[in-house]
Amino acid sequence: MSRTFFEDVVVERIQDTPAITVTEAHVAMYHGVTREAALAPGAVPDILPLCLSVGLGWRTKEPPMVVLAFVGLEWQIVRELHVGDTVHIRSRISSKRPMRDGGLVVEDRALVDQRGEVVQQGKFTFLVAKRPKEAVS
Amino acid sequence: MTEQRRFFDEIALGEEYESPGRTVTESDIVMFAGLSGDYNVLHTDAEFMKQSIFGERIAHGLLGLAIQSGLFGRATQAYATLAFVGLRWKFKAPVKIGDTIRLRAKVIARKDLSEPGRGLVTLERTLLNQRDEVVQQGETDLIVEKRA
Repeated sequence: MSRTFFEDVVVERIQDTPAITVTEAHVAMYHGVTREAALAPGAVPDILPLCLSVGLGWRTKEPPMVVLAFVGLEWQIVRELHVGDTVHIRSRISSKRPMRDGGLVVEDRALVDQRGEVVQQGKFTFLVAKRPKEAVS
Repeated sequence: MTEQRRFFDEIALGEEYESPGRTVTESDIVMFAGLSGDYNVLHTDAEFMKQSIFGERIAHGLLGLAIQSGLFGRATQAYATLAFVGLRWKFKAPVKIGDTIRLRAKVIARKDLSEPGRGLVTLERTLLNQRDEVVQQGETDLIVEKRA
């Protein structure tokens, strides 16, 4: 499996993931897991698109980063989504900073709908592994 | 019958709430992997994770965030929320299978908005495990309706 280590992360790189259509089944599963109060028919809970975004984040053309930990996020809900909307992620690596073990990578992410409008956006911070040192022969 | 909701005017700075606990199970993690499409080894490969610093599979960070959203509804009477506008969040420690997590929330800011009839409430939210360790912490911003 091809993987992207901290050293290989390219700052300013922009990626678009495939899209996913948000369905009633997603909403029902989300309510099953979270036990959040149900909303009006057709409404999408605000945190559900954020959850879908972490799965979409793996479906990129470039090999995925070797994430040791998800450190944190800042997130804005710009507009409501509805069942039947189709979203994908546009991401841009905004910075990287080496640490003793691995390095911090900050990614700007926007969740974009089928009309090209941003519905949610923010920053994800990941701790990414450095390339393992090759054994001395 | 509509549930009694609390308006902006009734929510005081410094109010605190605590939810019941919820035990995070393997089923929760498997269902969340299916829902989100995040099948990272951290959450799905028990053998690989035996060798990791965690020693076992851990819950998705966003599963904790999603569960606390449900726990908030069990911690206090519902707000008359018009919109959830944003959050700032840190994942501080792993949640493992069998851990019991609960939410502590506190109103740390409330301000009037320029649009009439609404105000912004900022809550500090802390997710604790059964050992009272902070596993996740952050702030959420909600737009709440004022009493007409």
